[in-house]
Amino acid sequence: MAITATAPPAAGSGVKTRPEWLESAIGQGLALLLALVIALGLGSIIILLYGENPLDVYGSILRASTTDKDGPAWVLSSATPLIFSALAVSVCFKGGLFNIGVEGQYLVAMATAAWAALHLGGILPGPLLMWGVLLFGVLGGMAYAAIPGALKVKTGAHEVVTTIMMNGIAISLVAWALNHPLRYTNAPAGQNVDLRTNIFPANAKVPDLGHLFGYGPAPRLSWLFPLAVLAAAIVWFVVKRMRLGYEARAVGASAGSAQAGGIGIGSVQMKLFLVSGALAGLVGMQQILVNNASTNTGGYLPQNYEATLGFTGIAVAFLGQNNPIGIVFAAIFWASLSRGESILPLETNMPREFVIILQGILIMSVVITYTLARRRLERRQTGRVLAEEEIVVTQTTPAEVEGTTT
Amino acid sequence: MGENGRAGRGSAPPFVVLEGITKRFPGVVANDDVSLELRPGEVHALIGENGAGKSTLMRILYGMYPSDSGRITIHGEEVRIHSPRDAIARGIGMVHQHFVLVDPFTVAENVILGDEGGPILQPEESERKVKALAVTYGFQIDPHSTVEDLSVGEEQRVEILKALYRGVEILILDEPTAVLTPSETSDLFENLRRLRADGKSIVFISHKLDEVLEIADRITVLRRGVVVGETTPAETSKAKLAEMMVGRPVLFRLEKPAVEIGEPVLRLEGLTGGRLDGLSLEVRAGEIVGIAGVEGNGQRDLADLVMGLRPLDAGRIVLDGEDLASRSTAEIRNAGVGFVPEDRHEQGLVLPMTLWENLVLGRQDDPPFVKHGVLSLRTIKDLARTLVRRFDVRARSIDVTAGALSGGNQQKLILARELETDPKLLLAAQPTRGLDVGAIEFVWSQILAQKAAGRGVLLISAELDEIYALSDRILTLYEGTITGEYPPSAPAEEVGRGMLGDVAVRDVG
Repeated sequence: MAITATAPPAAGSGVKTRPEWLESAIGQGLALLLALVIALGLGSIIILLYGENPLDVYGSILRASTTDKDGPAWVLSSATPLIFSALAVSVCFKGGLFNIGVEGQYLVAMATAAWAALHLGGILPGPLLMWGVLLFGVLGGMAYAAIPGALKVKTGAHEVVTTIMMNGIAISLVAWALNHPLRYTNAPAGQNVDLRTNIFPANAKVPDLGHLFGYGPAPRLSWLFPLAVLAAAIVWFVVKRMRLGYEARAVGASAGSAQAGGIGIGSVQMKLFLVSGALAGLVGMQQILVNNASTNTGGYLPQNYEATLGFTGIAVAFLGQNNPIGIVFAAIFWASLSRGESILPLETNMPREFVIILQGILIMSVVITYTLARRRLERRQTGRVLAEEEIVVTQTTPAEVEGTTT
Repeated sequence: MGENGRAGRGSAPPFVVLEGITKRFPGVVANDDVSLELRPGEVHALIGENGAGKSTLMRILYGMYPSDSGRITIHGEEVRIHSPRDAIARGIGMVHQHFVLVDPFTVAENVILGDEGGPILQPEESERKVKALAVTYGFQIDPHSTVEDLSVGEEQRVEILKALYRGVEILILDEPTAVLTPSETSDLFENLRRLRADGKSIVFISHKLDEVLEIADRITVLRRGVVVGETTPAETSKAKLAEMMVGRPVLFRLEKPAVEIGEPVLRLEGLTGGRLDGLSLEVRAGEIVGIAGVEGNGQRDLADLVMGLRPLDAGRIVLDGEDLASRSTAEIRNAGVGFVPEDRHEQGLVLPMTLWENLVLGRQDDPPFVKHGVLSLRTIKDLARTLVRRFDVRARSIDVTAGALSGGNQQKLILARELETDPKLLLAAQPTRGLDVGAIEFVWSQILAQKAAGRGVLLISAELDEIYALSDRILTLYEGTITGEYPPSAPAEEVGRGMLGDVAVRDVG
């Protein structure tokens, strides 16, 4: 029989096939490539309907984020909050929880961080203030995530429902904070200023990073970007190498087996919400703690803050397949497309919404190609395992089977 | 295979002939030059171990997979079957292990689904037709009742009716008795005999040899994708069939080790919760206590309560003198309880995780494996390699996912994990469910090894064979309480009465 020729001796040794992780990496890489081809292909149809040349349109998007002046700095600075946001979503997702509340958690965190920036200046000298402000952002996110976490663990209230509700509450909370405790006291005389907080002390802000690479101050590329990459590395370590991540994955994949294995499901879920909230707490820091060079302001929480970063994080987490490293690249890619949004109306006849459509198509093609890749991989694995089982069966004698009893 | 078939049967020309069917999947030959004849008016059993290729062969016939080579002839005409729809049109129907019914629909609605006969439904007409069909073949079922209210056995009848409604001549049943109780099985066999008398051809896929010997007219044995023999119940025996399936002699009764029965390891007192109502029992060192009972009488609750997986309403769980009631699952495990759950996918393994990750489940708090919250990968993987070798888990590496293993190997994985900690008590629920004969032998030998090592074993099983093969003492569980205690020498009928509540029997008598 043909199959006996490749008989492996026993589990875990000396078979010349690719290791599982490499095989899955190759599969995912191909899937991603295919998704890109599909998305760009469908996008081309739309572009052609507008009477434009797809190559020109994609070319300008690519240029905007690469060779254009400060292009990469723009991309990395807008990828920064997306990395935090997507990591926050993915951490919960590992444990089978769908945290839609990253949105609300980062809004609340911006308010708590703003409070710290305005009030802790006297206590925390020099750069310590910045770290204190970041910590308060993290704590604000954690506190706000703890509520749906506790509701889930104690009452079983579904986190999707509670976090959506809590997002609405967060908007009102921030509006209230801006009107009352955090409202500016020293508006510049004779100017109509939008509702906002006072300007933070200089040592509360995160320093610029872009100038080290010759970029101008406009893109606001700050040290928050390397912090986001570090956060991704830490999340990877926690998920893959730490007990919490192990327990989370077990709970997410099979709650019953995890429970029978002695894992406290409620405790794991609560911890995941807290970690997720901590990451969410850093999402808004890019907009309130980084100097805005064009107005030479920044370092305050305005009424017209940038919202929906929490929701975009869900899309980015998805694109990165909830893998922390994948998320960093997905966020950068997403930000590149978004960068094209501002260029398109200037350089082509395409409306800026084209980019949003393209992002949507991309998400859908990724869903499809990743599912196909995973199925294929599972079939291969199963097929091979079955084949090997059967081969070894022929070599096993009753004596060997009895010999395995202790 | 002889051209004229075997003596006695086979005078009728074959309905379907499969010739030289070969099917490869990446890395495995599922069917290698398989030939088979299906004749009207007979039950043809297709047996083999898990992964022997029986289901693949029938899925090819049912149009679910194309074969790589080989011919299928129906009534002497060579055909290509492209889809299940195609197969049904040619008179071939299949009932899968997992039913595909719409729960809120009635029996009749489910039967006509996909074959409604026009855009406007005629409920009375279809109910009448389904009823007539049920009467013809002696199926006990009300076309009016909703599927969600049916028992598993009744759902299976609906599936068979679906096929018959479409006028199939060949009915393929994929392990139909795996989900049935013994009485449902005998009902099914009654139905099958009526169908056979009516000239239908039935393919019975199974690895339960007693049932095959009871119902089949002809038996084809597959091993590693190849037909290793064709026989009839009269010419063969359970032992011969098992040897053909596995490729070596299989022991159906293992020697029970002679061990002195010692002090009580586990004492349950007035255990109440779920379906259990004041259950008390004792398991002693070196003793295997078998809990016999018809499923649904509290077996699942018993296991869950002992393991701390469901809250206890009342009662005490004493392990080696220590009261474990209201302790967490982790504490109960650490106190020395190993657990083989009845549903290994739902409570045993995390299928998408690797073998080594599954092998450390339950020990994620133990110092050598986790230090300061960080997994010690090397220690865990070393342990995993050792266990996989010792328990003969057949897998290419410890990095494959548990979901890629066959049922038998998954169960070995669980046993490896649960026995590695050398528990004082092993709680084994339905430990051989869905396993083939070779794997059953392995699991049984491991359970007996626990006894030999002076540990206590609480065995919960719906298979009376298994209870008899392993137990030192048999307890019957009925509606949440123990209704009787029997030595393994007690006749099965007596134990059977206990399983049915005994008391109820006496009331009637």
